[in-house]
Amino acid sequence: MENRQKLRDLLMEVLLLTDEEFSFDLKREQVETWDSLAVVAIAAGIDETFGYHFTPDEAVGLTGVRDIINILEREGIRFAEA
Amino acid sequence: MSTPSMSENMRVVREAEVRHDLALLGHLWSEAPTFAVVPTNLALTEDWLRASLSLLPDDYCNGHFILMTSGSTGQPKLIVAKKARAERLVEVIHSAQDDEPASETIACLPLSYSYAFVNQWLWSHHMRRKLVRTDGFTRPDELKSALDSAENAMVCMVGVQVPLLRSLFGTHSFPGVIRLHFAGGRFPQEQLADLREIFPNAEVFNNYGCAEAMPRLTIRRASESDLAANIGRPLPGVELKTGDDDQLLFRSPFRAVGFIEANAFRPIPDDEWIETGDLGHASENSMWTLLGRKSEVFKRFGEKISLPAIQSAVQRVWQGELAFYRETDSMGENGHVMVLAPHPEKDQLKAIMMELRRGFSRPHWPLRVESTQQLPRLPNNKVDALALTSRNDVTVQWSQRY
Repeated sequence: MENRQKLRDLLMEVLLLTDEEFSFDLKREQVETWDSLAVVAIAAGIDETFGYHFTPDEAVGLTGVRDIINILEREGIRFAEA
Repeated sequence: MSTPSMSENMRVVREAEVRHDLALLGHLWSEAPTFAVVPTNLALTEDWLRASLSLLPDDYCNGHFILMTSGSTGQPKLIVAKKARAERLVEVIHSAQDDEPASETIACLPLSYSYAFVNQWLWSHHMRRKLVRTDGFTRPDELKSALDSAENAMVCMVGVQVPLLRSLFGTHSFPGVIRLHFAGGRFPQEQLADLREIFPNAEVFNNYGCAEAMPRLTIRRASESDLAANIGRPLPGVELKTGDDDQLLFRSPFRAVGFIEANAFRPIPDDEWIETGDLGHASENSMWTLLGRKSEVFKRFGEKISLPAIQSAVQRVWQGELAFYRETDSMGENGHVMVLAPHPEKDQLKAIMMELRRGFSRPHWPLRVESTQQLPRLPNNKVDALALTSRNDVTVQWSQRY
């Protein structure tokens, strides 16, 4: 499965989003379920799925899906056309 | 003070003996010596029973009866009740239900179960009505035949049996049942429409009580509330109150007089407020509402989590079975795991999770949603909480990931 799909599946599962609600341009403030516990869950899921540990600052500082992609791409994980 | 000694006349009967010889119960009831009715399939040795019953003081060796209750851990507790009090309760229940118009009762629960023993066997014996004994859902053909032959019948069930009615009997209906009572677990509020189709002439009641109450404390007609947790009003003479942390306590002139547990007999004084083991509060119109078992309400990240409230929400979209067990998460916070049976389809799981999202913030969501083909149950039909946590045929459907 390509990384884009993996990230989409992970966030939809953690944040309980529907297909229609998800977008790669989604901002944290647009998602009611993106609370402080979701941050912990997203960090755990990223670690499990992509093998990257967010630093505490990175995890807390996420403002949307794009930030996750940017951090992972910086680590060499590719997200074609995301 | 009397000294403990087991009466030589005391009789212990297993459920199986009663099943084949209902007259035996009538005989034991009419005679003076105290007797005990215990489940057939509970692994209790005769030695254990004799040792436990030998703890009964002489004052209780006549005019009483003993039933067994097992909590969710399965630890047995012998409940000692007075025959005269139970007969009085039967009269009160009969009167509280419009002088119960039923002319017979069909038993589909074990008679060693206090709810069935008092509500059905004793009611039929004391009020001189017919009792039709069945093996319940272990012999669906026999049960269907009994329900088909019903004439103005009263039936007592537990909520977990309702899905079985549909799966075993399809769209068949039983017009001869005019009274349908539920107790011993969560009231099947979401299945009322189904129940009205299956039993088109039945008035449905939610009963609440516990073995120590022997067994009933409150009653409501199903039509009086939309909430499964609404247990209705106390029976005449019964008092309810809330204690510390919403604990629900009762006093009742019909309650048990003592119990044997952990190798000791403990009498229950008449003026004692007894814990039901549930949490609850008074609500409107003199009715009471349950918040859950003591173990089912807890704090997580400062929020009060009520497993019954979560269950009610999930069962709006999930027709299968549902149970919980408690677990601590990796941050040391109390949490819970939800177990579904049977395994849900993808869309069903999605609907459940969306219902959780709609009604609750994340601390209320389960740490995991697991599924299994069938929930493990104790002989009294309650979910076996210990077995629930140690199954190896479980599928993790969703997880909080921490």
